[in-house]
This record gives sequence, C-alpha cells and structure tokens, in this order.
Amino acid sequence: MISNIEITLKQDLRDAEGQSLVKKASAYFGIKMDDARCINIVTVESDLSQDELETIRREVFTNPVIQESSLAPLDIDFHFCIWVGFRPGVRDNAGATAVEAVRDLLKKDFLVHENIYTSKRYCLTGADLTREDAEKIAGQILSNGIIQQYKVFGKDEWDKKIGADVKPAKVILNHTPGFDTMDIDTDEILAQISHERSLSLNPMDIPVIRGYFLDEKVLAERAQMGLSKPTDVELEYISQSRSDHCCHNTFNGIFRYTDTETGETTQENSLFKTYIKTPTLALKDTKDWVVSVLWDNAGVGSFDDENNYVITGETHNSPSNMEAYGGAITGIVGVYRDPMGTGLGSKLFMGSFGFCVGDINYNGSLKPPLHPRRLLDGVIEGVKDGGNKSGVPTTFGQTLFDPGYMGKALVFVTALGIMPKTVNGKPSHEKTTSPGELIIMSGGRVGKDGIHGVTASSKSFSENTPAGHVQIGDPYTQKKMHDFLLICRDEGLITFITDNGGGGLSSSVGESAMLSNGCEVWLDKVPLKYEGLDMWEIWISESQERMTIAIKPENLDRFMALSDLHEVESTVIGKYTDSGKLHIKYKDETCAYVDMDLLDKGFPAWEFEAVWTPPGARGLTEPVISTPTDFNGLLEQMLARPNICGKEWIIRQYDHEVQGGSVIKPLVGINRNIPTDASVTRPVLTSERGLAFSQSILPWYSKIDAYNMMACTIDEAVRRLIAVGGSLDHIGGVDNFCWPDIGYDARSNPDGKFKAAQLVRACRALKDACMAYGIPLLSGKDSMYVDGHLEGAFGERIKVSALETVQFSAVSLVSDVSRCVTLEPKTAGDLVYVLGSTGDELGASEYYEMFEKTGLNVPRVDFAKLKTLYKALEKAIDTELVASCHAVGRGGLGIHFSLVVMAGGLGLDINMAGLPLTDDLPLSSEKALFSESAGRFIVTVGPDKKQTFEKLCKGLPCACLGMVTDSHDRLKIASDGKPVADLTIETLDSAFNKTFGDKI
Amino acid sequence: MSGASAVKALILTGFGLNCDYETAFAFEKAGACAHRVHINSLIYGDVRLADFQILAFGGGFSWGDDHGAGVIQALKLKNNIGKDLLDFVAGGKLVIGICNGFQALVNLGLLPGLDQDYTRRSVAITYNDCGNFRDQWARLVPDAESPCVFTKGLGVSDYPVRHGEGKVVAEPEVIERLVANRQVVFRYADENGAPANGAFPANPNGAVDDIAGICDPTGRIFGLMPHPEGYNHFGNHPDWPRQKAAAKRLGKSLEETITTGIRLFENGVNYIQSL
Repeated sequence: MISNIEITLKQDLRDAEGQSLVKKASAYFGIKMDDARCINIVTVESDLSQDELETIRREVFTNPVIQESSLAPLDIDFHFCIWVGFRPGVRDNAGATAVEAVRDLLKKDFLVHENIYTSKRYCLTGADLTREDAEKIAGQILSNGIIQQYKVFGKDEWDKKIGADVKPAKVILNHTPGFDTMDIDTDEILAQISHERSLSLNPMDIPVIRGYFLDEKVLAERAQMGLSKPTDVELEYISQSRSDHCCHNTFNGIFRYTDTETGETTQENSLFKTYIKTPTLALKDTKDWVVSVLWDNAGVGSFDDENNYVITGETHNSPSNMEAYGGAITGIVGVYRDPMGTGLGSKLFMGSFGFCVGDINYNGSLKPPLHPRRLLDGVIEGVKDGGNKSGVPTTFGQTLFDPGYMGKALVFVTALGIMPKTVNGKPSHEKTTSPGELIIMSGGRVGKDGIHGVTASSKSFSENTPAGHVQIGDPYTQKKMHDFLLICRDEGLITFITDNGGGGLSSSVGESAMLSNGCEVWLDKVPLKYEGLDMWEIWISESQERMTIAIKPENLDRFMALSDLHEVESTVIGKYTDSGKLHIKYKDETCAYVDMDLLDKGFPAWEFEAVWTPPGARGLTEPVISTPTDFNGLLEQMLARPNICGKEWIIRQYDHEVQGGSVIKPLVGINRNIPTDASVTRPVLTSERGLAFSQSILPWYSKIDAYNMMACTIDEAVRRLIAVGGSLDHIGGVDNFCWPDIGYDARSNPDGKFKAAQLVRACRALKDACMAYGIPLLSGKDSMYVDGHLEGAFGERIKVSALETVQFSAVSLVSDVSRCVTLEPKTAGDLVYVLGSTGDELGASEYYEMFEKTGLNVPRVDFAKLKTLYKALEKAIDTELVASCHAVGRGGLGIHFSLVVMAGGLGLDINMAGLPLTDDLPLSSEKALFSESAGRFIVTVGPDKKQTFEKLCKGLPCACLGMVTDSHDRLKIASDGKPVADLTIETLDSAFNKTFGDKI
Repeated sequence: MSGASAVKALILTGFGLNCDYETAFAFEKAGACAHRVHINSLIYGDVRLADFQILAFGGGFSWGDDHGAGVIQALKLKNNIGKDLLDFVAGGKLVIGICNGFQALVNLGLLPGLDQDYTRRSVAITYNDCGNFRDQWARLVPDAESPCVFTKGLGVSDYPVRHGEGKVVAEPEVIERLVANRQVVFRYADENGAPANGAFPANPNGAVDDIAGICDPTGRIFGLMPHPEGYNHFGNHPDWPRQKAAAKRLGKSLEETITTGIRLFENGVNYIQSL
C-alpha cells in the first residue's frame, strides 16, 4: 500500500526555505512572488495499518509545536504548485532515516519491496506568476533533471483529494544478473566494444589486452575455470585500472619537450617520478617527521610523540558540473574516506574547499550544463552538508572566478586526519593483507551509482557524457561508519583498510589483493540497493560510503558485534589468497579469473608532444597604462572585484570549529570578516600543539608561464603558513593539478602541445620549490581534462578550457599555538613594516586584469632569497616580536594594506617612499601598490620590540613604512609626503563586502 | 580525574552525533570523569545510565537532522530508555543538551518541563530566519536569577553557535511562563551585553525573545544552542590574539584563564559534588 503524509509549518510561522526561494526567483530571473510555502511529503510503501500510519505521522514526522500534517493533501492555497522528487535510484537520505525511525518505533521490519521516500511540493502565490515562471523555478532552481523530477500544477489542474499523487521512486530492473564474454578477435573489434561500453580503453592498450587473453598458458588456466574469451567483468576491471584517473597515465607518460626559442629538445620519461617521487623521497630521508608517503590513500606526518596526522586532497569536477550539490557532497564525503582508509584508519579533524567557477553573472550565449551561479550555489551547499554532517570542521577555503571555468568548474576538497602512532604496539601507518584474511565491505549498499564515473572524468565533458555517474553523498551513514571503524582499529581488529572511491570494489579489492597476491570474491554476497545488477556492475559500482577491510577470521565475531552496535552494515564478500589470481565468483560460477600482475604486463606509456614558446615570443608585452589620478576610486573598485572581495557568506555556512580545536579561524579581524592567511587547529585537545594549514590557487599566471604559476602558488602557500607562525622545518605539501587536455590533435585540440609544455614547466617548478623549501609532497592528484564543449547560439559547440590550475595545500606544525599571530594590527603606536622586495611584476595581476590586460612581467620567485627572509620572520614570530603579520598576495600591497586596516579597525599611516625594491629600480605608485611580487609580508611590531626586530632583519629587504594609529580611522598612503590614497575604514569595508553583501 | 568519588558524566555518541570528544574533554577539564557512550550501549543495557550523575546530549547531526533536528534521537530514546531518562531526572541528577542535544531535549519533552511534565513538547527549535546554517560566535547574557545550576555566577559569555535550526519558538503563553519562572537561562546579546532584540547577527537565528538556552523549573535540565565546549581553550575565542595583546600590556597572561565554557561545566560538576 502507498500512503502519503504531508507536513508543513503552521501557517503563521515564517517559512525560511520558502522565503529563500522567493528571493532566488527574484534575484535570478526577476520573477516576483508574494509567498512560497514548502510542504514535505513522506511516501510510505508498506502494509502499515491506518493506526500505525497515524502513529508515525504524529510521532515521527510532525512537531506539534510548529507543524501541521495530514494523511491527505494539505489544503494550502497557491497559484502554482511545484512537486519535486528524486528519480528512481537516487540516494534519498531522509527516506533512509525515516525507515530507521519507523522500524524502531513500530518494531517492524521492512520487506524487500517496502520503503519510504521523501519529496517536496512548493505552493507559490503571486497573481502575476505564469506557468513559464513556475516551470523555470521548477527546472532551474528547485530541481536538476539528472537526479530529480518535477511536476507543475496550475490551480485548475489540482485535485484536492489526490494532491500531487506521489508514487514511490523505486528502481525495478526486471533483469536476471549475468555476465557476457567479449569477442577480441581483432584490435578493431575490441576498440568497438570499448566504444560501445564506454570503457575508454587507450588504443595502445588494446593489443596488450588481446595479447594477454590470447596467450596459450592463460587460455589453459582459464579453461579450468570454465572461461575462454574475456568476460565483461574482466574488461571493466582493466578499463577501471588503466583509466587516467586511477593510473595517472599522463604523469607517468613520456613527454618530448621542445623549446622553440632555443630549439632544444628534452625527453621527460615520467613527470611523476622525476618531479614528485624522487624529490619527496630525498626529502623524506632528511626529515624524520615524514612517516609515510606516495603509496597509501593519504600521506602521513608526525604530530607529536604519540600521534601522526594524515593529509590528502582531491577534486570532484565532472560530477559537480552536472549536478553541483550531488557532485560536491559526494566529493567532500569521498575525500573524507581517504584518511579513514590511511594506515589502519585515522580520525578526521579538518577539511577545506576550493571552488573555481565561471562568471556568476554571465549572460552570454554559451550554455554550460549548469549556469555558474547555480553551480556555485550547489557546490557551496554540497560541501556544507557533507562537511557539517560529517562533524569535521571546514577551516579554510577559497572561491575563484574565471571565464575558463565555465567549460568545467573545479571543486577541490582536502581532508586531514589524526591517528595514534601505534595500535596494539604496531605502527598504525603500516598495513597489509595476508592469505586467509576475510574481505569485508562496510557501509553503504551497491546500486548502479557512479558506474563509469572514473572513465567519464578521464574525458572532456560532451553531450555524450553519461549522466548516470552523479550521486548524492550520505554523510550520516559515513559518520556512523567512521565512529565504528575507529573502535575496530583501537581493538586491533583491522589488518588492512581502504576506501571504495573511483572504481569501487574493482579498485579497492584489486589493489589490496596485490599485497597478499590474490583473492577470491563472492559477488553474490555483496548487499545491493535493488536486485538485478550484473556482475560487472557490482564489481565497478561507485556507490558511496563504503570501505573495504581485511580482518583475520578469528576477529570476525567481534567485528560484526561492533558493526551491529553502530548500526553499520558489514558483509564478508571474499577472502584474500596467495594464488596470484584475481578470482571473482557469483554463486560458485567464475566470472573473472586473471593474473594479479596483469596490469604490469607491458602496457605502453602514453606519449605527448610538448612545445614551449616563451611568452615574449608568443607576442605578450607589457600594457601601456599611465598612473591613475584617483587611487581612492581605484582601490574601492579593486576591493569589490569578485576574486578579491569578501566571501563571508560561504565561510559562515561551514562549521569551522566543531571538535573544539580551532585556534585561527578562516575569518579574522575585529569584524571577523577578513580571510586569514592560514587556519590553525589543535587536533589533540590535551596538547598545545597545532597544525597550520593554507592553500593557494593562482591560475592567472599560467596565461604567461605555468612555471611561474606553480612557483608563485607554492610560495604563497608557504608564505601564508609562515605568516601565522608555521615553520619551514616542517611543511608538507599536497599538489592538486587541474589541467586542460594536453593530447595534441590538429582538429580537436590544436594547442595541446603548448598545454603539455605548460604541464612540464609546472612540474619543474614544483620540484624546484619543494627542494628549495624542503617540502615533501605528502599527497597529490591530477585531473587532466578540464575542458568543456559548450553549446552556443547557433547550435555550434565551442570548446572552453580552464586555465592551467594547481591548488597547493600546505601544512605546518606549530609547537605552541599561543605564539600564533593573526593579520590584524592590535595596538596604536605599533610600527608597520613591509618585508620582501617589490619589483615591476604585474604580469597577469589583478590590476592588469581589471583593464583586461595580461602583460608580460609575471612574478618570479627567488626561492633561496625568500627562504632566508622566511627563516628570519619565523624566528621573529616565535620570539613574539611581531604583533601581526599578513602575507601579501593577489592585488598587491594596495589591497593587502586595505585588508590589514579593516581587520584591525585602527588607522594606518603609510609612506611608500621607503619600500624595499627589487634591484633598487624605482616604481610608479600603481606599480608599487599593485605589483604581485612574491615573498612579501605586512608586519606590525611594538615600539619596544623595534630594535630587536630590525636587528633580526638586518641585511634583508625590510623597511618601516608607517604606524598604526587611533587618531583617525583611515588608510592613508603617501609617497614622499604626497598623498596617494586616503580612505576611511568604512569606505573600504563597504567596497569589500558589497559584491556578495546580500547573501547569507 | 578519577577515583570512586569522581563525578561521572555520560556523553552520548553515535548516529551522527559529533561533539562528543570535545564535550568529554570539557567535562574532564571541569573535574569530571567523562565517558563517551554509544546510544545503543544504553539501549542494549551494556552501560547503565543510573551509574552516572550527569548526562550530556551533545551536538551533531543525529540521523542527519532529517525530519527535524533531534526528532528521531528523541524518539529513539523515548521508545527504548524513556523510563531510565525520567528516573535519572527524578533522581535529582543533571542533564545538559547542547545544540542538537537541546533540540533532542525539547523533542523528548525533558524541556521545558512545565508542570513537572517531562514528556510534553511545548517548545520547538526550527530553521534559522537567515535561511542557512551559520557558524559565528554569539554573546550571551545569563539571567542571574535563573535556577539553572550550570550558569551560577557566570556573567556575559561568548560561545560559538553552529546550526541551521536554532530558532527557539513556542506559544506566547509558554514563553511568558518560561520568562516568569526564570527558565530563560541565556539570551543572545549585543556587544555590550544587552539583549539583541532580534537583531541579526547578534541574534543569529531569530529566536523568540532572543532565547539561546532554557532550563526546567528545577534548573537541573539545561539546553542551549551555543556550544560552551567549543570554548574549552583560550585560543578558541576569535578575539584571543587581541585579548593576549591586551593582557600582555597589563602584565598578565592569557594562558591561565579558565574559559567561560569550562566554567559552565565546572558549575555542573561542583553541583554534584556539593550534594
């Protein structure tokens, strides 16, 4: 029987969700409504009696103080009513918790066909509303066709007795599970299969795959298992494992790099080995705090004598571009499984985000899958629900805008965890699988979710991209699993653990079985969301919130008892062996039987042509712009620019201090609205130690040279750590590359060779910076196809590529958090210093961009020089000589003096005349104020510390430019007595906050 | 602290709750012996509520906050250990509910406990007027005349609020009785410590009469939206760098301060010890 319960707020109460809809409809489409009321609908498919339905309506679904509800449609007036529900098979988190509650209350088990579903309807009132308006609201605000369906009812179409007449969004497959064998007679046939099944096999891999399956010894072994030609399960396994997402074919590929200016050609045999692995291993040898790198789900560093921390970063771009909320929540909840699956498992203690999107006010003719405005709303909300409901503070985050991200927006998510150094007397960062151990899958169930997600993110977005890989993360299920697994870890029950991410069981079991050298998997044991999945689907499904765990058989009972206590579903799905084979069965029938070392069987490296033409030779020059006469107006306008202005509304939606260890929050200053340089968190509450964390994304410099982009990005991340009290002795890095397609094709990717050269150059800078600053790369990932083919006005599709982008995350150990500093001046009378030299480096700066210019003089980083300066500043902060410190970044000194003055709420008198200059070359006022030279800080120092501080900085680029004052509340910048800019804090504040000022 | 005479505090865990570690830490710092206990351990009888003197319903997203924050948690506890909870309260012991825990307490009916009825739901905590989840620090002014044992001697206090559903609402006559009974323990205040009068963001959620926390008529059951355990260390306060600079000028050190967050828990522990 199907019953619908409708619940709504009592009519005299404010409906915050409805109000937010009214506001959005007006802001986005200029649609005026008088009111919108939201009704929640709970659809129960079960044989409950009328009394039982009445009980759950009253007890579970209705708050008597504020809500009214009914088993019949509620009679609420409207001009248009919009019903929105999930498509079948989409994760309905509220439906699942409803089942839990009803089961507990009625002590009733739900049968296979019984379930609870949730949906909503919105009653819109407004005499001028048209059906077209209602359709627009339904399709472009309230739902996304990929995961949801909607119906619009006019007044005359509404039957008060039937209402929205909601039916269960139920998956019915009517399919008998099986597996197929695939014809591999020729390369062409296999290529055709690859195309038809979206396997994305690389043409160069095809002969290797055929060679394996046609090998006589292999054929003979397979015959014993009843197999001959490869099965679909096997080909899907190979496709997953060989995808660029899993295999990093690009970073392990061969690059022939030619510099057109010098004519010199060099060959790069593996960017990963040369620029990431080798330097990191070399640094590991010199830094005893580096515990584990380059193999596990996340890197591990030492926190104190008892604890290690772990860190990793991911992107979740492709899904977020189609379903922003679902993609982003799945992204953050997904990256949170990495620390849970690092070593024997760590406890999450913080996360961060990075959003790169197109112009949210775009009104041109290109049609991205989601408008940037809607995409941003969705990803913000996804990270909010995913992060907050995981109980993990989101302590840092950035949002960038650039037209290139309309092709594909980027969603970066980073996660840090903490774990005891030893578990049961053994190092917690070591783990392996052994023959005889059981393979357990814990957490969520398996459905058709995310199938071919890995291969889809390995291709550019096009009209053929399968939409089925978009999911909705379930932080609630994962949080229960997180708590459960930490207890299992501490009881010594876990011998190996890893998460199910891209590739699902195929990756997690496939990779963990490499350690024991074999496994036998019983796919029929895997719990499913609904019947009818084929074997290959079960094997590669990316259904979320699952971990794969190895335990010894003697620990099974205890493990399962704890699993029951925490109400987490755990199932034995196979065992590890040392047979050398990946052996998959379904009800005793073998559906895959391949060698564990199949993937090492000589698959050829990918090859790329990389051709570099230096920026001058590409025709880039400095723009010709004379010195402005109105610096006040200029500063105001720059502060309001989307990439500079305040984005408090995003940060405040994220719980950034749950777990109680917050020391420096994402927003600082007297009005708590200025972004901090870095966050600081105490992951162990009984300790005064902390971890400082910063991130940088500076893609604009790639317009000139990705080498400098990478160098500046890393330098800024380091500089930000130093500014709060981090130490060069202990900085770990995470590199997240997001690059447009680098595979040259004369028609489809004519600038591929240049983009490939940019990648090589960025990797070279990565190594140079990491070796100079001593930063081991604790973790890193790459996402290689950030292009979109967007439909234009006339049915054409235009390729839009993102700028070559890297998010660099950096973490540093702080031995005593009480010595950390924030960026706001604290006391009138303190002296204002600028550290670091300023040069004529406005290439791709915010200032030039304001005039739609690029320029040529991109900031260069002299690592050795800057290191000396950073060491001195580190000492000054550690000995408490410094009252405030701020790393100068995008927008240069002009913007960053403004941030400092707003944060402190005290006046600043600045004389630019003494500014330390690169090579002592004089600079015009606008160049001095808006150059983005690396390695600079604004520091305030108490007069009593002046001498000591200046002595410490002797010989370094460091000059006192002014004073903090309470005699006025202005930012006064002069040069040699001539005023340059003079604005009140109020004016600055208003400019900085107005751009997104109406958002909360 | 341990030993036979130690005050034992039970902090609920599981099902999406998430402030259990820092709440336990705050209780320990306040001198209690804190135990994090899974809700099912109480239901299965592995742990006995009667062995504790303080019960803490902590923050988090129990059951994902689906179907109303704290609703399913309240239902689960009422169905399975409802009598144990009522016995615990009747035994003169202490209950504190923070954020999601406060939401659970009003849905259980343990608050506001008017007319000694600890099962009636007469207060609701619903969506913030601002329409979104919000993390900010709030200034709170206590009612010095309130019977609440946790806020004795506490002045104006700053704690973080971190919620999407924190707006306290009730029928006007219920609010009137709460005020008259001095059950309104904490109100959101402006920077000078005067009630916010509904002004955002001092009152971050639009709560009626700026109500941030209420107690039962005995003062032994207390629920609040802000997170006192979120102020367990001087470094949690957003102003600490400036507080440190100011303290230094007076020749003092910030590190020795006992935060108002910890003092709230100490009041609870001291109350039990004084019995």
